[in-house]
Amino acid sequence: MTDPETPSPQSDVPQMQVTPARKRWWHQLSPVWLVPIVALAAALGVAWQSYAGRGELITISFQNASGIEAGQTPLKFRDVTIGVVEQVNFGAGLSEVLVNVRVSKDVAPFIDGSAEFWVVRPEVSVRGVTGLDTVLSGAFIAGRWDSESSGARNSFTGLEVPPMLGGLDQTGMAIVLKLRDGNQISAGAPILYRGIEVGAVGAPRLADDGDGVLIDAFIQAPYTERLTSASRFWDASGFDVSIGPSGVELDVKSLASLIEGGISFDTVVSGGDPVNAGDTFEVYPDENTARDSVFTSANDATLPVSVVFDGSVSGLTVGAEVRFRGLKVGQVTDLGAYVEGEGAARRVRLRANLELQIGKLGLGEDATPEQAIELLGTFVQNNGLRARLTTASILTGGLLVDLVELPDVAPATIRMDAAPYPELPTSEAALSDFAATSQGVFERINALPVEELMQSAIDALDSFRMLAADPATRRVPEAAVGLLDDTRALVTSEDVAAIPAEVRAITTSAREILNKIEEGQAVENLIAAIGRADRALTSLETASADFPAITAEVRSIAEKVDGLAMEELLASADQLINSADALIGTEEARALPAAFTGALEEATVFLAQIRAGGAIERANSAISAAEAAANSINEAASSLPDLSERMSGLVVSADGVIAGYGERSRFNSELMSVLRDIQSAADAVTALARTIERNPNSLILGR
Amino acid sequence: MTAPQILGAPTPTARSAGLIGCTRCGRVFAPGTELCTRCGAPLSSRDPRALQRVWAWWFAGLVVYFPANIYPMLITRTLTYSGEGTILGGVVELLGHGDYFVAFVIFFASILIPVGKFLAIAFLALSIRNHRFLDEHAQHRLHAVVEFIGRWSMIDVFVVAILASLVRFDAVATINPGIAAISFALSVAFTMLSAQSFDPRQIWDE
Repeated sequence: MTDPETPSPQSDVPQMQVTPARKRWWHQLSPVWLVPIVALAAALGVAWQSYAGRGELITISFQNASGIEAGQTPLKFRDVTIGVVEQVNFGAGLSEVLVNVRVSKDVAPFIDGSAEFWVVRPEVSVRGVTGLDTVLSGAFIAGRWDSESSGARNSFTGLEVPPMLGGLDQTGMAIVLKLRDGNQISAGAPILYRGIEVGAVGAPRLADDGDGVLIDAFIQAPYTERLTSASRFWDASGFDVSIGPSGVELDVKSLASLIEGGISFDTVVSGGDPVNAGDTFEVYPDENTARDSVFTSANDATLPVSVVFDGSVSGLTVGAEVRFRGLKVGQVTDLGAYVEGEGAARRVRLRANLELQIGKLGLGEDATPEQAIELLGTFVQNNGLRARLTTASILTGGLLVDLVELPDVAPATIRMDAAPYPELPTSEAALSDFAATSQGVFERINALPVEELMQSAIDALDSFRMLAADPATRRVPEAAVGLLDDTRALVTSEDVAAIPAEVRAITTSAREILNKIEEGQAVENLIAAIGRADRALTSLETASADFPAITAEVRSIAEKVDGLAMEELLASADQLINSADALIGTEEARALPAAFTGALEEATVFLAQIRAGGAIERANSAISAAEAAANSINEAASSLPDLSERMSGLVVSADGVIAGYGERSRFNSELMSVLRDIQSAADAVTALARTIERNPNSLILGR
Repeated sequence: MTAPQILGAPTPTARSAGLIGCTRCGRVFAPGTELCTRCGAPLSSRDPRALQRVWAWWFAGLVVYFPANIYPMLITRTLTYSGEGTILGGVVELLGHGDYFVAFVIFFASILIPVGKFLAIAFLALSIRNHRFLDEHAQHRLHAVVEFIGRWSMIDVFVVAILASLVRFDAVATINPGIAAISFALSVAFTMLSAQSFDPRQIWDE
């Protein structure tokens, strides 16, 4: 082995065997080079793959990004992780949080305009615990979208509240519910059909026109068949207390609906039309109203009018009924005050906006608001149609607007130019039924035929005198005496004296009516009743305050009685006395039997008394007789405080009814304990929720 | 080594004596001998491709060393936490917790030693005939140190392997090796091969 190119310092040593050089350079390459090349290729391949397959970046904006961590929080679709939050930063003006999510490439094309995103956090509610897995793993972003890709987007606005049950992938129907207010319903509250949960509602939102609250609701698939245009929804929140013939009934729906609210529906009558997704249904305050509404006219067009009241409208509430001849034809939609006039003439007036249901005015199905207002205008002009406040319930003191036809009122017209709605003329409020009743009593007294009575008495006396003067009469003096007795009895006692009794009877019947009211349907809503009992008392006080006016009226009646044709009566009486004297002085009279003589003596005493007193005393005694009538009436009037007291007592007892359910009764204590139980249950749930929120580990550690 | 005695003079080598030294047992043979008669190892005076292999393994080690540092070493999943940790990230985290000693150990074993190994091998391969910075003896010692220390770089991989096999409590806590663990193991293996491919006899060649 020689290597000429490697000179050796020692020539005696054999030359090294060296591989011949100068071959092509790749021949000298070691195969080991394959290793770094493969490694490099693999590394580059992995790098390229992870770059190319890293997915699309989408941006979701949230108001609240609590629980979202960059690099940690996953995005899940149908509970499968399809991406991870890459970055969390703020949008323009720090007004929102932008969450950048790297989404898996094969899913990204489906995330289009239909996509919704929300943050799933652990939630402990009365209906159960949801998102428990997120207690341990932290919040995640959930998304849903349909299975068609139509123009992928990469910027979205996240939902602040999880969408309601159902959605794009669930079969069912989304509808819209309209409520008066949303304070009893929270998102996720159940929709019940005969007690079965068939759907859920979303978060309440204000209607565009500010009138009412709209809630998106979702009814799950098989139950949508139960939904027709004849379906009625009602608020099943809270509990009902009703006092009926069977006693007090407390109806508590499920604990969940008690706290969270709930909406029930039922299809009351058959024959409804199928509904379409997105249809709006009104939610009635209770089941009865909902069921009743089915039978109301199909014409639900309404006519807005306004009514201006001078006095207090305390007790009139939004939603109060508007009645026309006892029928509910509408309701109060708004109450407000406004200032009228200029300078010293300025005054505050109260305006109530009413909503009249045209279908109930008897104009037929297709009536228009124009026809309705024309009809009302005719009624106002011809029949004296006026709006006035009336007590709706004695117990609650609530008011309603009554459209009454008053025969003798000053002519008026509907002010068509009034803003915002045509203004109906009003009449003085018939505010208190007590006052009205008492007034009615005295109207009856007033209407008693006192004048006719007097006239009859005068006539009778005249006739008596004629009779007395008549020789034929002298043969039958007992008839005259009897007549005199009758007259005296008539004037002094019975009928007139019966008046107070009648007042009492009326009072009693009034009390009976109240009793019936108590027994019948007095307290429909205990809470409301308790809350408004004060107002009832206030209203009753107002009623009592009206009594002096009534008393004054009574006095005027008495005066009227006083002012009756006394002189004539006196003159007639004088003549009668004279004639009677002459009669008594006759021998035939002396020959009368003893019994008759007694009667005559009585008459003599009577007449002698009248005579002895002279003209003035006679007049006085005649007046005193008339006055006795007036006194009776006065007595009736003086019994007014008594009446008032009775009514007070009535109120007190009505109050007692309420108080019986209010303070210490067994019913109340039971109700209270029920409520307390519910309260403590709710507290416990809240405490649990708070504990879990503060210390999620407690679930695991058991502390 | 009796370095002081031969300082200044060229160190006699088997090659310079026209012999072939066995790299395993050190016995010299006459040229042309294929196998060591004492230990049976194949004999060659110099492997002309040794340096190539050194560089090839060196590059392979370097290539996989990058993912070893970029990708996660440990994938930790506990009930409340799911995370991935890179080597350097782990060091920083440990520093943040105040565990300076452990942080230093990891930093030393996982960063300093591999990087130092790369530098040392590259230095040796480049300056194999240039003794300006280190003389032959120092280079030889450096090579011995690199060869010796190579296996200890695997300590990181061992830790990961032990953790991954011990911490397996299903849902409660699980540790899985990440892609960096494999890369790191490969990197260590490649640099060990690179160091082994180095023929220290060439240090002494003129």
